[in-house]
Amino acid sequence: MRDLKHIIELEQLLLEANNDLVRQAKAEGKRALGYTCSFMPEVLLDLPGCFSVRLRAPRSGSPDIATYYMSNRTCMFGRCLLERALEGGFNFLDAEMATETCTVTCRFQEHLQMMDVIQNPDFFCEFTDVPFKKNQNSIDHYTTQLRAHVLTPLHERFGIDVSDDALRAAVAEHNEVCRLITEIGSYRKKDIPTITGFEFQLIQLSTLVCPKYLILPILRDIAEDLKTREPDARIPWRCKVVLAGSENDDPYFTQLIEECGALVVADRHCFGSLPGREEIELPEGKDVLTAIAEHYLLHEQCPRFMEQHTMRERKEYLANLAKEYKADGIIIEQMKFCEYWSYERTIDTIVIPRDYGIPVCSIEKEYVNTAIGQLRTRFQAFIESIEIKKIQKEREGAAI
Amino acid sequence: MSERTIKETAAERAKAAKNAAKAAASKLRHADYKKAAESVREKARTFDIKKAARDFWYGKPHEERRLGDLYIGNTGLYKHREWRGFKDTMYYFHMIWLYNYVHMVTDILSGDDPLSFFAGTMRYRWMGQTYLTVMHWFDRGLEGLRGPALAASAWHYRGMTNETIRQFMRMFAADKKLHGGKENKYWKNTIAHDETVSGNIFYPWRDVMDDVALQMIPYFVTCHVNNHTVLNYIDAMQSIGLPADPCPMCQAEAGIFVLDDYPDYSPVMVTSNEACDGSVATSVIQDWFLNRPLFAMPQPMRFDDPLVQKHCQEEIEECWKFVEEQTGHPFNWEEYKKHAESFNKLTDFEHEKWDVAANTPYYPINGVAQALYRIYYSQDGDRPIWHFVDAHVRKIMNKTVKNKIVTFPKTRHRAIAWSCAPLYYSNWCTWAYNCWGINTIINMDSLMFDQYLRTDTYEHALEDLATFNELAPMRSMAVGGHEHIFRLWEFMEKFNCDFVVMYDQLQCKGMQGIHGMFEDEFRKRNIHAVWVPHALPDKRTVSRKEIRKIISDYMYTVMHEEPLDPSLVDFDDSESW
Amino acid sequence: MLKVLFKIIKVLAVVWVVLFTVFFFDLDGKFLYYVWEPMMIKRFDNMKRPDLTGTPYERKEPV
Repeated sequence: MRDLKHIIELEQLLLEANNDLVRQAKAEGKRALGYTCSFMPEVLLDLPGCFSVRLRAPRSGSPDIATYYMSNRTCMFGRCLLERALEGGFNFLDAEMATETCTVTCRFQEHLQMMDVIQNPDFFCEFTDVPFKKNQNSIDHYTTQLRAHVLTPLHERFGIDVSDDALRAAVAEHNEVCRLITEIGSYRKKDIPTITGFEFQLIQLSTLVCPKYLILPILRDIAEDLKTREPDARIPWRCKVVLAGSENDDPYFTQLIEECGALVVADRHCFGSLPGREEIELPEGKDVLTAIAEHYLLHEQCPRFMEQHTMRERKEYLANLAKEYKADGIIIEQMKFCEYWSYERTIDTIVIPRDYGIPVCSIEKEYVNTAIGQLRTRFQAFIESIEIKKIQKEREGAAI
Repeated sequence: MSERTIKETAAERAKAAKNAAKAAASKLRHADYKKAAESVREKARTFDIKKAARDFWYGKPHEERRLGDLYIGNTGLYKHREWRGFKDTMYYFHMIWLYNYVHMVTDILSGDDPLSFFAGTMRYRWMGQTYLTVMHWFDRGLEGLRGPALAASAWHYRGMTNETIRQFMRMFAADKKLHGGKENKYWKNTIAHDETVSGNIFYPWRDVMDDVALQMIPYFVTCHVNNHTVLNYIDAMQSIGLPADPCPMCQAEAGIFVLDDYPDYSPVMVTSNEACDGSVATSVIQDWFLNRPLFAMPQPMRFDDPLVQKHCQEEIEECWKFVEEQTGHPFNWEEYKKHAESFNKLTDFEHEKWDVAANTPYYPINGVAQALYRIYYSQDGDRPIWHFVDAHVRKIMNKTVKNKIVTFPKTRHRAIAWSCAPLYYSNWCTWAYNCWGINTIINMDSLMFDQYLRTDTYEHALEDLATFNELAPMRSMAVGGHEHIFRLWEFMEKFNCDFVVMYDQLQCKGMQGIHGMFEDEFRKRNIHAVWVPHALPDKRTVSRKEIRKIISDYMYTVMHEEPLDPSLVDFDDSESW
Repeated sequence: MLKVLFKIIKVLAVVWVVLFTVFFFDLDGKFLYYVWEPMMIKRFDNMKRPDLTGTPYERKEPV
């Protein structure tokens, strides 16, 4: 396939947290607000006058100082973030809108509070309590929390307009991003997709780490470009897979899977678009913030949710994604030391093939991926097993 | 144990016994009797009858005890139990060993269905392999103790043993698996809950139903009594694909399901997010294997925030509604009041104990008894046995305070133990006192659940209950902001401690995630702190011997001290319970 | 009467001596360690257990 418009530019942007678009927005006087988890509604951080930056630590090596502080037995994502912060890589942040949604990223954010790491006199770190359920009580609680720990401090410290009108404007912009991402992502549903998983992840990630108003023109161009993009005559992949799991902001991991012969057609992980890029509806007469809180809680599929029916629906959601995107299998990745996904991955690996007949490849990975050879072997074996199953199925069909 | 086949283990133990007998026979055959006779004569010449009489009556002085010489090989068994002086040995024999063996029988007989004890013993590994070894758990925890310290600590053990029996007898009486799959009246009237959900949630139904924590007996207690069994459950969970790095406590609790070793004693399950991500994550395993109505009652993480309280209260009310709907038993406010008020009396006494522990050398409870009893009773909630035990301990403590009896006279350091303890070696503090004079005054998990539960109005009750549960063991200090875990400095001062034992649970992400900040603070404050790595229930990760070596190395090289009892510095107990 | 009393005392004394011997020489521990536990381990290792990973995990209504 021909190169997608802007794709090289996006790849470049993702090499640094303080990228060109972030610098441009800062130069225009906007406040940069960091966050680590999809439970922090990015739309609230994209109000006029500020913009959200989902924290990543691209091009990380060995997080030595962070390992002194957090030991080598914690999730490497959290440690790499701390290392990057200690190196000064997050000094552009004006605030960290924190959540205690998983232990290690919480500890990372607490280090920002304790150690005076961010060299920015305006910097503050504010925690929001995020509920574990999707019931009305939780929605009310989440709304209260977002008002008290996101909107109020933004208004008081930076004079950000947090009125309903401002929220509506932010939602409108956010929804356009979601619409475009959904449109771009829908090309993955085709029998022969016209966008690769690697390309899609570059686009999706850039919407999380760049100011929305600066990334939107790029998204529009890409969406337009995709309308006329044709697949190669020779199909370069052997099967299609859903990539599910924990934190994953590494497009080169997706590229590795695709190099092995499996096209990644759906992304159901912490930095993915499924869920995450559904448009927010603002029903008439409903409080805007409540509608936003409700949207985020009801659409989230994090293994942190504990209600019996939500735990069970998660499996169905994943299986349905595989069907909808015509995937032949699911790769479930888990960041080493992630407690949530270690259990979720274990049960998914047993239940999904058994109850939904979808093959699963279950792997554990590090934030800085050094075990490429081993992973490549695992993926290749998985792809072969899918192919063998397909051949067996065809033979059975022919025999009948 | 689990990593080897049992046949090998049994054969090894039989072989060891045989070899010991052979060695003894060979020794007799090849003995130099002349030399032996000479030695006896020499001993007779130097024999100090006065000292022997004094040792017989009062027991040997601490420095001459050589408790480490009493062990047989790596088994943890004793060649003979310690002679603590006439009075204390008689007390141990009659009031601890005999008293508890007898009560283990009477407690079973007074259970809901005494005959089910045998069925349960034969059905569940955590029962058959573990329960009878309980007196060795006493022995390990009470080694070297004398006088009021021995008595008061032993009463704590008695309370825990009684409540353990009560709970497993209820589980067995209700257990469908032991009753041919039948749902009897006990099954219908028992609430199963995660061990991290406090018993106080179920006070409103204590007159018509019972509430039993699902993992308290099959997992938590067994780790202390006989740490061999739990390894099977950890391995089982990993055998279905779980990586080895999540919290081993959660792994073991989940592994009980994989091996079908959980009693089926309730139509419902109440779970929570207490204390960490691992606990949240295991809910999915509980839900899958139990496959029955499951209610999640999460506590807010940022519990200092006044805005979270309403949410927490509503979740508790939702839980109550769930219990009412599932069991048909209505909420009974009077019953709640009765138990909450009764529990407040336990809290009163806990505060008294803390006062004595903090401000005097007369506190008669050793580190392990304090830690285990406190976490057990506060989690379990109001039960008659805790009041019974407290009455005995109050008498003893009043006496030590009134008569100014220094209960741990060889104390060199007053230690505070922080973070969560190694379950397979919770009695390390008994060893640390005997060997080095490190007296563990208090530990982190003792310092929670000390809020009073108001009962004047329903609203107050709910408010207090919410706060109480937010400040549960482990989560009270470990989550909700770094300032909680750093309350260590405040408690060090309050309890007059000069030494910190930092439990370093290798698989606890929350504690690992703040490791370096503690190091920095210890240096800044010039505090002596020794890190004790462990893996909660899994002795294979860091053995007890390694833990002792780490502490001993610190005492030699940093503190420049010599052991009180050198025989305890290095010994092998790798195969002990 | 006195004879019966002496007999009772004698029996009690023997029982006491036996129990104290068991206690002092940790014979209860030795029995449990060398005999009981290996027997129980053998029993539980050989026990047939169902494969509970076959437990269904279908959708459920909210509780």
